[in-house]
Amino acid sequence: MNGLWKIVLLGAVMAILLLFALGLKNDPREIPSPLVNRPANDFTAPALEGDQPVQLSAHRGKWVLVNFWGSWCVSCVAEHPYLIELAKQTKNRSDFVMLGVDFRDNPDSARTFLARHGNPGYPHAQDPTQKIAIDWGVYGAPESYLVDPKGTIRMKHTGPLFPGWFEQRALPLMQGEVK
Amino acid sequence: MRHFPPLLLLAWLLAMPGPALAELRGEDPTEAMVRHIAKDLRCAVCQNQSVYESNSDLAKDMLNVIRAKVAAGEQETAIRDYFFQRYGDYIYLEPTTQGMNTLLWSAPFIGLGIGGLALWLAMRQWRKRANENVKPVPTHAAMQERIQKELDQLRM
Repeated sequence: MNGLWKIVLLGAVMAILLLFALGLKNDPREIPSPLVNRPANDFTAPALEGDQPVQLSAHRGKWVLVNFWGSWCVSCVAEHPYLIELAKQTKNRSDFVMLGVDFRDNPDSARTFLARHGNPGYPHAQDPTQKIAIDWGVYGAPESYLVDPKGTIRMKHTGPLFPGWFEQRALPLMQGEVK
Repeated sequence: MRHFPPLLLLAWLLAMPGPALAELRGEDPTEAMVRHIAKDLRCAVCQNQSVYESNSDLAKDMLNVIRAKVAAGEQETAIRDYFFQRYGDYIYLEPTTQGMNTLLWSAPFIGLGIGGLALWLAMRQWRKRANENVKPVPTHAAMQERIQKELDQLRM
């Protein structure tokens, strides 16, 4: 074996190890959404409570957190206390609103869910046939999207939002620290 | 079960797929198109099942979306693209051969080519070395004499 072959072999081994190292950093559960940095698909749907339909584009000019959930979803129960806290915490902000999309659910079960686990107070759109959810590339619940004031999706969060999510993930985006 | 002979039960079971098959044969073109598209799309929440085969709620609703789009006269490519725009190329059961995937598809063939080339070069070298080894080595005179002696003995 001459020197050239040794270098080629070493290079190949290094390349494989590098690919492994890169692969280990990936979260296999996280499927990248092609919707990030693209205009959010607008929706108008009947609200879970009240007669006023829920429309995304009505909130243009504000950051909108769109949270997909359902009363059938176990992780949503775990996420719910934080949503209540976040709604309370951001109530006085003029640049941030929250919307829920209750998908693949029946409205009565969803209302019972809110009565049992607490009502965060922001509007929820009804999406019994998953039309909005599919239009937003949703796989399961809960999934959340952060839409910027121009109506562009800036972030997708798969799974329950965790305490501190707003400060750690949303605020840096909203303050323009993350491009 | 006593009043229901096993043979009759068997006949009934065999007759079961009948209507389903007839439905497939007489399938209307819209539904055939829906099936064609849905078979290539991955049910996002299942283990390697297509939207058409899966019984999950998401797959059923996706099927309805496809159905509505086909009924509205949308083209196949437009419908496939609709899902691609939302779910990325993960949605296709068979990976696409575009962009970075081209590299992925061709990698085995490139690897095979490099391997073949390396093997050819190595074999050439082996053969060269083997040819060098074949060169006659002068035998020692004493040894030559001994070999000759033993050969003579054999011929006796």
